[in-house]
Amino acid sequence: MKMKVYVNDRRVYVLPGMKVKHALMRAGLLEEIKGSKKVYDEWGNEVGLDGALSEEVKIYIRTINNKL
Amino acid sequence: MFVLCVKSIADDTVMKRLNICFSIVLLFFLSASFCHGQSVQIRILHVNDFHGFAEPYKPLGSDEMVGGIANLAGRANELREKKPCLLLSAGDMIQGNNWANLSRGESVIELMNEMRFDAMVLGNHEFDFGQDVLIKRISEAKFPIVAANVEGLGQLKPYIIKNLEGVHVGIIGVVTEDVPISTHPRNVAGLKFMSPVDAVEKYIAELKKKADLIVVLSHIGYPVDRILAERVKGIDVVVGGHSHTKIEKPVKVGNTIIVQAWEHAKALGVLDLTVEDGKIVGFEGHLEEIRPKNDKEDKAASAIVQKYNEKVNAVLNERVGEAEMDLDGENVRRRETNLGDLIADIMRHASGVDVTIINGGEIRTSIKRGEIRVKDIYSVLPFDNYIVAIKLTGKQIRDALEHGVSAVEEEEGRFPQVSGLTFKYSPSDKRGSRVKEVLIAGKPMDSDWEYTVATNDFLAAGGDGYKAFGEAIKASRDFAIIGGMMKGEKVVYSDSGRWLRDAVVEYLKEMKGVAPTVEGRIIEIH
Repeated sequence: MKMKVYVNDRRVYVLPGMKVKHALMRAGLLEEIKGSKKVYDEWGNEVGLDGALSEEVKIYIRTINNKL
Repeated sequence: MFVLCVKSIADDTVMKRLNICFSIVLLFFLSASFCHGQSVQIRILHVNDFHGFAEPYKPLGSDEMVGGIANLAGRANELREKKPCLLLSAGDMIQGNNWANLSRGESVIELMNEMRFDAMVLGNHEFDFGQDVLIKRISEAKFPIVAANVEGLGQLKPYIIKNLEGVHVGIIGVVTEDVPISTHPRNVAGLKFMSPVDAVEKYIAELKKKADLIVVLSHIGYPVDRILAERVKGIDVVVGGHSHTKIEKPVKVGNTIIVQAWEHAKALGVLDLTVEDGKIVGFEGHLEEIRPKNDKEDKAASAIVQKYNEKVNAVLNERVGEAEMDLDGENVRRRETNLGDLIADIMRHASGVDVTIINGGEIRTSIKRGEIRVKDIYSVLPFDNYIVAIKLTGKQIRDALEHGVSAVEEEEGRFPQVSGLTFKYSPSDKRGSRVKEVLIAGKPMDSDWEYTVATNDFLAAGGDGYKAFGEAIKASRDFAIIGGMMKGEKVVYSDSGRWLRDAVVEYLKEMKGVAPTVEGRIIEIH
């Protein structure tokens, strides 16, 4: 199965085994992490770029210390 | 017993017996009052998703050095002295960084033994070196490795029970069900992965008779941990991993406490529990962020890090083959090169597909004629990318090639290196209309026919602006594992546990010598 995940509420598709960084790439947002932004889950926890994804997961790119 | 003693009060002997009986009764009541009503403080220290990041490093987007396992071990030593303590790992320890990969995880297990871990759950990446290696690593571990939802690997335990100051802590392990589709299927042949929810429900019923507290050591990811906590009653604590989540304070879902300690030894999780009558009556937790401080290092852990650094250097210096000519990695962003051809050919060979398309930017340097060492390949392919193969139509291949040559003037990394196909393009034509004749296996490419195409996970995820692979993934329906290989409507190969550079090293070791030439796969016309 392909995996459906959401980056900043935008739906993207990745392969099983792919990680947070792949979802960001698919959404064209990986470059933003090189600046002052980080990735958070829908509960406001920071997640690593190598973090595993699961179906329907929602992740958000936010400026550091400006959580959900 | 007390009544019997009173009846026998007749002489000195009987008096002595009475004293003994009284003492026993007193001890009984004292013991009962200790167990009932007296609180016990225990501590759980936890790490997850270490992935062999033994030394401090700068994460993407950060200028600060973080992590360092010797510092984490030093802090763990300090914290475990304060209270009865467990040190737990929530998986994905032995694969990832070169420090782990080049000893196939042996370095990590030696380190964990030194750190006196109490238990670890298998993560999906623990399977990446295959079952023989995994069984060896389990045999080397001086701590139990738990996974209740894996059938077929007898070396695993579903759970263990630890006794901390009279508090019996049952620890059940669960790993993601997605292991078979996130590692190469050969690594999990013959194994069955059950639902974590079903496995925990099964063993919780068994453990409740034996344990005061139930801890699930989980490698299923924080979103799924929450579902587990909602669905299964009776879990006191979930110590999680897999999603690399930085849970700064413990989260409560229903009656279950959930913790997770980020990734790469950047944090040590600390959870303090107050237990009374076999129940948690209070908790406090936090993450200790780890920074390099030489005076706080655990010396024994540091020595193991250094020992395996030396081994890594020895492996990197190993000879893998011979280049009979210079291998060109300098011009990969503007034209076909013999090194681009070689790597693309190896990817096609490894995945057994029709065609390879990769980005020239994947290849970072050249190799001079002469001996090839492991470190040369690691310099050529420094990224942690792996091989993926997807079915693309002829039209999608053409679109990918058009994108690949669309910025040749700027020498961007998207310029393709290919195998199994040849094409002509005109850089003076308008972008999007540059690709001319495309041949696959010597025949004109059919726009409607589906071909199997190997690439790297970077392009498959849309890296360097490639969209064709993403369109195919979006259109894909389902996977099946057929004959030990992942087959699907569109995805035919994915080996996320083996970096491309390691596949190239293995190939070169088999071939001994290579002499690739530029074959006219990419022809510039005007």
